[in-house]
Amino acid sequence: MKKLATLATAAALLASFSVAKEIKIGAVMPMSGPLAAYGQVTYEGIELANELQPTLKNGDTVKLVLVDNKGDKVETSTATTRLISADGVVGILGALTSSNTAAVIAVAEKKKIPVIASVATNDKLTAKREFANRVCFMDSFQGEVIANYAISQGYKTAAVISDQAQVYSLGLAKAFEKAFTKAGGKITKEVKVTSGDKDFKAVVAQVKSANPDFMFLPLYHPEASLIARQSKDIGLNKPMFSGDGVANQTMIDLGGDAIEGYMFTDFFDYSAPPTQASKDFIAAYEKKTGKKEMNSFTALGADTYNVMLAAMNKCADPTDSVCINKEIKNTKNFEGVSGVLNIDESGNASRSAVIKEFKNGKMVYKTTVNP
Amino acid sequence: MDFLTFMQQMVNGFSLGSMYALIAIGYTMVYGVLRLINFAHGDIMMVGAFLGYFGIAVLDLPFAAAALLAVVGSATLGMLTDKIAYKPLRNAPKISLLITAIGISFFLENAFNVFFGGVPRAFPVPDYMSHILNLGGLVFSVSSLLVPIVTLILLGGILWVLFKTKYGMAIRALAFDVNTVNLMGIDANRIIMIVFGMGSALAAVGGVFWALNYPTVEPMMGVLIGLKAFAAAVVGGIGSVTGAVLGGFIIGFTEVVVIAFMPELGGYKDAFAFVFLILVLLFKPTGILGYDFEKSRF
Repeated sequence: MKKLATLATAAALLASFSVAKEIKIGAVMPMSGPLAAYGQVTYEGIELANELQPTLKNGDTVKLVLVDNKGDKVETSTATTRLISADGVVGILGALTSSNTAAVIAVAEKKKIPVIASVATNDKLTAKREFANRVCFMDSFQGEVIANYAISQGYKTAAVISDQAQVYSLGLAKAFEKAFTKAGGKITKEVKVTSGDKDFKAVVAQVKSANPDFMFLPLYHPEASLIARQSKDIGLNKPMFSGDGVANQTMIDLGGDAIEGYMFTDFFDYSAPPTQASKDFIAAYEKKTGKKEMNSFTALGADTYNVMLAAMNKCADPTDSVCINKEIKNTKNFEGVSGVLNIDESGNASRSAVIKEFKNGKMVYKTTVNP
Repeated sequence: MDFLTFMQQMVNGFSLGSMYALIAIGYTMVYGVLRLINFAHGDIMMVGAFLGYFGIAVLDLPFAAAALLAVVGSATLGMLTDKIAYKPLRNAPKISLLITAIGISFFLENAFNVFFGGVPRAFPVPDYMSHILNLGGLVFSVSSLLVPIVTLILLGGILWVLFKTKYGMAIRALAFDVNTVNLMGIDANRIIMIVFGMGSALAAVGGVFWALNYPTVEPMMGVLIGLKAFAAAVVGGIGSVTGAVLGGFIIGFTEVVVIAFMPELGGYKDAFAFVFLILVLLFKPTGILGYDFEKSRF
């Protein structure tokens, strides 16, 4: 029996050598745990992009290796180490949130393996890191977009409620405040909360007494939805605005009718495909899943793969990760699924943002803002 | 801050404080009879909130029936944990009991996480509960008004049971001296089970109210609330039911006051609540209404 097994393994090995070379790209995503919903939609995009373009120009096939980090930082580090040393991946896509992506980058940087982040928007993520790249915009840009939009709507005063336990929230709040004050606006109330808080009645009562023109909530959906509900309870009906952290179905489920008209920034909208690549991808997505909607995280997931693949195609040796990294940073006017991308020397993408609002339990497109 | 905002914050503090109080009573009662900090208590509250959620969203029960299901289910769970986990350890060192309590807490959290996922679910609040009342500019929902009322009624009920009934006498005797109680022909295990049942039922009431006021339920919701209710029980004087309620209000008001007067430090409101706990313990180690350990509690 043992002999037979050995023989079978040998045969399998032989078979794998006879076909074209197989190159591995790693993906680290939260497929289970609290962030699972986002990890899954993002990976859907990576997977479909791989199905649509499974080979390189030279005929080599690209194989995805997915590892679930359960939304945890330590698991992320272990997963990254495993992908690089055991699977021998040439690049890594992931890992959703800024803090987990930072954990991927910390490991990959030492091994000189390029990382492309899909939605990690924290400004400092790519600082002093040679192998860190992203296809999303940064919080400083997001803050500016929201501030300018608010000013254009005639809002002069704002209340800011930020989460002191989230780097994302603090960074975004700071970027917004800077841009809003510069454009002539005034921050009349600033309140800090902590993720996991449920009682915001005292917070919204304070905001109500300050009576601002609008509220900026750079938070994730669990806190944002509760603040929206509790604001409505005490009759605080000011326009509310958040960053990309609330762009998901859970926000709609938790917020109910309290988030009617609530605005937020996003990367991409299904109903306004920005490029031909988006149209093609959406068509393939509809065909594969039968769904009539596509999350922006799916588009960004697809773009991490597409940018990585394009960079590999530009290298003479598609397994040379240093060359791949150089070519990723050389991405110019790339027609991505989520929009036109330019990635600079520091690995940061310059791209458009869209503004949406919640209406009747749906996310509705309002406008696109170009950098 | 104008007067109206101040009053609004007082209302908020009162409502939040009563929820801590409901949960703190369970800590204090179990501590009274077993000298055990039942760390699983916050998670029993979570189970209560989930049962209420399932009652309304899955079984399609009216709110009152779902709340009853939550109370009965949680009381049963509380008694079961006593029977399965704590009873075999009656004569073991106290530390084993404490570790077991932490184990049950982790078990409940993770079991719910595995079966129902960590994504928060929206609690279906009945319309009459979320109805907004406006009293001359003071606004609050029916549910947040109900919490302090129900808490005070339940406090009265518990005190009545403790001081006016045979069972209450047995519970107080048990808190005084377990061995003598056994000699007097009282089944101590049965009384302890009743205490767990009562405490868990109150936790379920707290859980359902929590879910009504902050309409989400998730497996980890009991952790921080439980910890703060525990702090409330200690501030009030652990072992004293009235103290637990007083402690609940104190912790609730501390949080609201921090946000009202120092909004930039609002994120540290939990820290303020715990600093307050430390201060009380420094000056009065038994808590505000706590008795000397040699004397009777409650």
